Amino acid sequence: MSDLDDLPPAPDAAGTSLDGDKVFTITAEENAALCRSIGVEPAADGSAHPIYYYIATQVAMGKTVAGVCEACEFDVEDGPMMGSSGVRFDVSLKVGENYRVTGEILSLVRKRSRKLGVMDVLTYRLRLHLLDGTQVLETDNVWVLPRKEFAA
Amino acid sequence: MSHAVGDMLPPFTIESVSPHAMQQWAVFLADPNPIHLDVEVVKAKGLGDRVINQGPINVAYMMNMLMRAFPGGRIKAMDSRFLDNVYGGDRAVVTGKIAAIEGNAVTCEFSLDVDGRGTVNSGTATVEI
Repeated sequence: MSDLDDLPPAPDAAGTSLDGDKVFTITAEENAALCRSIGVEPAADGSAHPIYYYIATQVAMGKTVAGVCEACEFDVEDGPMMGSSGVRFDVSLKVGENYRVTGEILSLVRKRSRKLGVMDVLTYRLRLHLLDGTQVLETDNVWVLPRKEFAA
Repeated sequence: MSHAVGDMLPPFTIESVSPHAMQQWAVFLADPNPIHLDVEVVKAKGLGDRVINQGPINVAYMMNMLMRAFPGGRIKAMDSRFLDNVYGGDRAVVTGKIAAIEGNAVTCEFSLDVDGRGTVNSGTATVEI
């Protein structure tokens, strides 16, 4: 990392709402297909594969991935990259249950990296809820948005 | 079954990362990014010569290792970092070990390694057993 004084600041995206208006339901058929696609059998107790933490929140949040990038003034065609993902489960995910998503962009920070040049580091938080409002999980995702327009 | 800090967990191996699974996950994720579907797009972007696995699939591989290591357990928390791409046809192996035990909560460190390129994902998780 080095001096950023010669660059404009990252867009002010923090606080952008990612609340969704869709209901997400994990179907038994899709859960079974997903599990088998990655080499395991679906659970027999009605629980869904925990990777649905990522799928459900991404699919049912209030913006598409392209829309999140747009809120950061970044073209999704320029190739956003996942940096990290974290999740805290309050309860297990279940097949047949209905979920809703709330969330927001936490920060967008401009940095320099030796490997990628100038990049914006996007952190956003999503929460998955039952329809009665009970929180099921909270996830923070970090994306790297390479800013090719600032290449030396 | 008893556990101890330092215990290695049974590895989870993907003998050949599946481009067909990437097509399925494009639907699951509602994300038709062509770098996961069309090798010509990957080449045009200078990202290699094979389709690139969706990042959440890599996370799912690591979850599979944890769930097999602790049958009946429940992942309470998990953090993972993305260090490099996984490509169609790669042989990938998840390995892990127990880093801490507190009551019925086991904290594990793990990584996803690809033959010839080393670690591409790594992380920590707490599993309630």
